[in-house]
Amino acid sequence: MAQANLSPAVPKPDHVPASLVYDFDMFADPGMIENAHNRALEIVKEAPPVFWTPRNDGHWVIAGHNAVFNMSRDTERFSNAMVSYEQIHAMIASMPEGAPKPLIPAPITYDPPHHAVYRGPLQKAFSPKAMTALKDSIRELAVALIEAVKPKGECAFVDAIAEPLPVTIFLRMFGLPVERQREYRDLVKEHFEDTDSDPSHVQARLKKVTDIMHDTIMERKENPTDDLISLLWQSEFNGEKATLWDIQNYCVVLFAAGLDTVVNGMSLGAVHLATNPQLQAELRADPDKIPAAAEEILRRYTFTLPPRFVSADTEFEGVQMKHGEKAVLMLPAADLDPSEFDSPEEFNLAREGKAHIAFGTGPHRCLGSHLARFELNILYEEMMARLPEFRLDPDKPLTYHGGHVWGPDEVYLKWDN
Amino acid sequence: MKILIDKANCVGNARCAAIAETLYLLDDDGYIAVEEFEVPAGMEQLARRGAKACPERVIQVIEDDQE
Repeated sequence: MAQANLSPAVPKPDHVPASLVYDFDMFADPGMIENAHNRALEIVKEAPPVFWTPRNDGHWVIAGHNAVFNMSRDTERFSNAMVSYEQIHAMIASMPEGAPKPLIPAPITYDPPHHAVYRGPLQKAFSPKAMTALKDSIRELAVALIEAVKPKGECAFVDAIAEPLPVTIFLRMFGLPVERQREYRDLVKEHFEDTDSDPSHVQARLKKVTDIMHDTIMERKENPTDDLISLLWQSEFNGEKATLWDIQNYCVVLFAAGLDTVVNGMSLGAVHLATNPQLQAELRADPDKIPAAAEEILRRYTFTLPPRFVSADTEFEGVQMKHGEKAVLMLPAADLDPSEFDSPEEFNLAREGKAHIAFGTGPHRCLGSHLARFELNILYEEMMARLPEFRLDPDKPLTYHGGHVWGPDEVYLKWDN
Repeated sequence: MKILIDKANCVGNARCAAIAETLYLLDDDGYIAVEEFEVPAGMEQLARRGAKACPERVIQVIEDDQE
């Protein structure tokens, strides 16, 4: 994978004290590329819980567990939108009729109270009960993918299992043609690798996503099925029928979230299992421990870094922040914070009583968390049941990608049949 | 023992129900459906574990000696 170059450091603004400056390029930090979560552990030790990095135009990073918890739930002061819902709608109202409206990833970039209106139609579709109904099809696919590589004694895990498993399940749910999977994944990768935050370039990237789905979206309007695109077409927002623009706004988020996040979660889990044969033996001997292992993998290797934007000049955890500044919630560091988790670097199946926040906290909690948990648990169960002890291929060292979703680029596994 | 839940701040993690689904009842969206309940005798430990599993920290355990 092409690695982002280290971005130039910008001078710190006057309101940022020198003691809060820590150099971390979330897209290209060399330590993170080498071993993402070792770097997170280092940051937790070295950096303040709220720090400012001069990279990527300069922004806050929230690394402490409590600080992340507090900011995530404070939607009044910390917005998910770079530009507010009201400002965007005022801008759209002033545009000439028929002019293309900017895409606004929904509901992730909406703040309360608008957020609940747009998240509402999806809640039931992603509820634990709805996800339970998918268990058999997830298992069937997991078994087929594992059995396909098993006789070979090795696999490129991301390509052979971690991508096709959740991506196929998601495309079926979403209502997009599964056979175009490769094309969709390439587009998502391109989207996440691009660090250019210029609004017109971001819009061009988002438009590529809606363009690739356009025919399916229009087809479902006329011929609804039981998929998510049809469900969204049948939804109303504040008493108004869904428009093509609404559907496109949802699609840009669901597409990226559904096609990229859990792929990384599975790959991080595979690395941990491959490097810990004693854990594999423990789980094979007692599969009832797999749910606890799946949770501890999520904590130890939390992998998303969602952004927030300061709504108005404010003080947060004793730190002065200015309106419009970006603050990245570094969930991987929050879940490795020793003030919340004793010996955070240790993998401990008996770590009960402390909840990790791998899926975020506050109203924007990952909508797909229940689906992800079923997929992770089923995958680990089937890997333990079907594969002999597996290990990393020593000739193919790991590299990681950073950004908003962390994970290994590829995981080469080997086993002796 | 009694459980008090700040229902308005539930965000649907459903971890309480993953630990103790007969105690922590969810609505169709997967959010907590109840604000308080008495814990049946013998299920206290399960109720405590369910409360601690909440990433939002919205579940409060009222032990009998606190009442």
